[in-house]
Amino acid sequence: MTLRRILPYLQVAPLTLVLALFVVLPLGLVVAVSFWRFQFLVGPVPDFTLQNYVDLLSSETTWRLYLSTVKFTLIVLAITAVLGFWISYFLVFHVRNLLTAIALFLICTVPFWTSNIIRMISWRPVLGKEGLINQALMKLGLIDQPLAWLLFSDFAVVVAYVHLFTLFMIVPIFNAMARIDKSLLEAAVDAGASRLDVVWNVVLPLSRTGIALGAVFVVTLVMGDFFVVIVMSGGLSGSATSGIYNDVQIQNYPRAAANAVILLAIVLMMATAIFRVVDVRRELVR
Amino acid sequence: MLKPSESPGVTGSGEIRLTGVTKRFGETVAVRAIDLTIPHGSYCCLVGPSGCGKTTILRMIAGHEQPTEGDIRIGGDPVVGLPPVRRGTAMMFQNYALFPHLNVRDNVAFYLKMRGVAKAERRARADEMLARVQLDHLADRMPAQLSGGQQQRVALARALITNPRVLLLDEPLSALDEFLRLRMRGELKGLQNELGITFVHVTHTQPEAIALADMVVVMDHGRIEQAGPAEEIFARPRTPYVARFMGGQNVLAGIAAREGGGLSLTTPEGWVFHAPATHPEARDGQPWAMAIRRDRIALSRGAGEPGALGPNAVAGTVTATEYQGTFVKVSLEVPGLAGFVANIPDHAWFAERFRPGDAVTARWQGQDVHVLDRADSAGDADPYGGGEH
Repeated sequence: MTLRRILPYLQVAPLTLVLALFVVLPLGLVVAVSFWRFQFLVGPVPDFTLQNYVDLLSSETTWRLYLSTVKFTLIVLAITAVLGFWISYFLVFHVRNLLTAIALFLICTVPFWTSNIIRMISWRPVLGKEGLINQALMKLGLIDQPLAWLLFSDFAVVVAYVHLFTLFMIVPIFNAMARIDKSLLEAAVDAGASRLDVVWNVVLPLSRTGIALGAVFVVTLVMGDFFVVIVMSGGLSGSATSGIYNDVQIQNYPRAAANAVILLAIVLMMATAIFRVVDVRRELVR
Repeated sequence: MLKPSESPGVTGSGEIRLTGVTKRFGETVAVRAIDLTIPHGSYCCLVGPSGCGKTTILRMIAGHEQPTEGDIRIGGDPVVGLPPVRRGTAMMFQNYALFPHLNVRDNVAFYLKMRGVAKAERRARADEMLARVQLDHLADRMPAQLSGGQQQRVALARALITNPRVLLLDEPLSALDEFLRLRMRGELKGLQNELGITFVHVTHTQPEAIALADMVVVMDHGRIEQAGPAEEIFARPRTPYVARFMGGQNVLAGIAAREGGGLSLTTPEGWVFHAPATHPEARDGQPWAMAIRRDRIALSRGAGEPGALGPNAVAGTVTATEYQGTFVKVSLEVPGLAGFVANIPDHAWFAERFRPGDAVTARWQGQDVHVLDRADSAGDADPYGGGEH
């Protein structure tokens, strides 16, 4: 009798333990440390102060970094969503042969066979002043000065993000679209829908879960990045995370922790907003 | 009850005419050079085993598949290359293909939305159509919340709101249980009578085709084996394949010999079958085939040797009996005749029962034997092995 009552707890115990150890505990530590005091030349001192938050929120730099990060997030979200949607649409509905579709899908993942850094660095010979694009445009006589904004700019950052993260949009959307019954498209055509009508009225609403999941991936990845921004902007732009990184460098852990808590709150709010728009749980059981 | 047609310029006859239609998918030929005319306002059933090309024909009429060769006309208009709405066809899909993200009303109103009808009007007209199929009380439900039968009615309403001149049904009853299937069968027939438009119905179930259709088209391997009224297909099949596929017939094969105005077949085992009519292409000494209806056979106890029995009689052993209510299906093992079945009326059965293992003689009247138009070939083997129904 007692065993039967304990059994369910035993069954959830491993997962609980893993979550406690690797999520709750570190998160608790970060939250706790965010209230500590940083003493110059000494380091973090246990305390309970809101000073770190006050410092951060009253600093113009924090606001600028967050605004810039949110801006990148929204731009990248829009571009990857459009790309992810149409690439998935092509793979699922235009490639008739399943093997071809799988092969093309695998090709989408090829960039992931190399490291992030190599993928980013490889943009330099393309976007640089003496790079492929500038050379080509100049040879064609379209420009006589190399375009300076191609590399080490917001543009370059967005290009790199899109390159790195579009796959995270493709996978869930592809998955959602692959579950759409093909006869639904024919039924729509039968009712007089044009190709665009079908996409707008049938494919898009039925891909919502995929778009939402992909959006959560992209939001968390871009919001949490600091490396791409620094490399691709040549240090001209920063991200919310780069503030944390700088604080960690100077061992100001309390302020870094407070910043991390703020970042977490913002990301959670964005994810909540996405799930408000699309009820993923309800649509997944549909 | 239906509003005047809103389809752009699509009115008039629902006569469907296929001329030399061939459809290839890569190397495979799904439909081979088919000629078929389905008269306006008829209920036509395409029937055949899976992979025989019947669904491909339906999809080509619907415009979801383009013929590789040949011409398709509806009401005289060439329709190859036209989208479904311009053809005046509406299709009811096998799994109903209801939009899972739209409620019942919006599913039905989808066509009107595509035509740019204002929201209030299209909802009102969708409700009207739903009332027709007695589903107005479920208008706000999502398709996943409906039973199979209800989903089918929604699919029907969604197809009919386009005011088609041809309704195409792809195995509409296959997903329903037996009880609902029989009820929906009656409703479809009634609806077709009421609307007077052409129905083309794909099925692999022979009784469904027989019960519904004004015109049955039996298909095999991308070809039309026979097309005609149900009673003709059932009682006077042209080929051994049709005779077996539609059930209810035993195919008799042997070497032909013309006698007077009739035809005799003799099997290597010595059985002799005689029909009062013949076929112009039947030649003496060549193999040919006939058919005898299962319910025209009388059984009596006792074995017999070929030759001693006379024509139109075979002897064999009972292998199985199956009570079917009004009759009993008795399967016999007869040397040289595969899958021989006699359907015995229940009163005759109650007078004299047979058990598996009993030696019996089966006899029938020469006037009931029907001459087929070719010899029986192994390639015509019954896809349902034994021919149920």
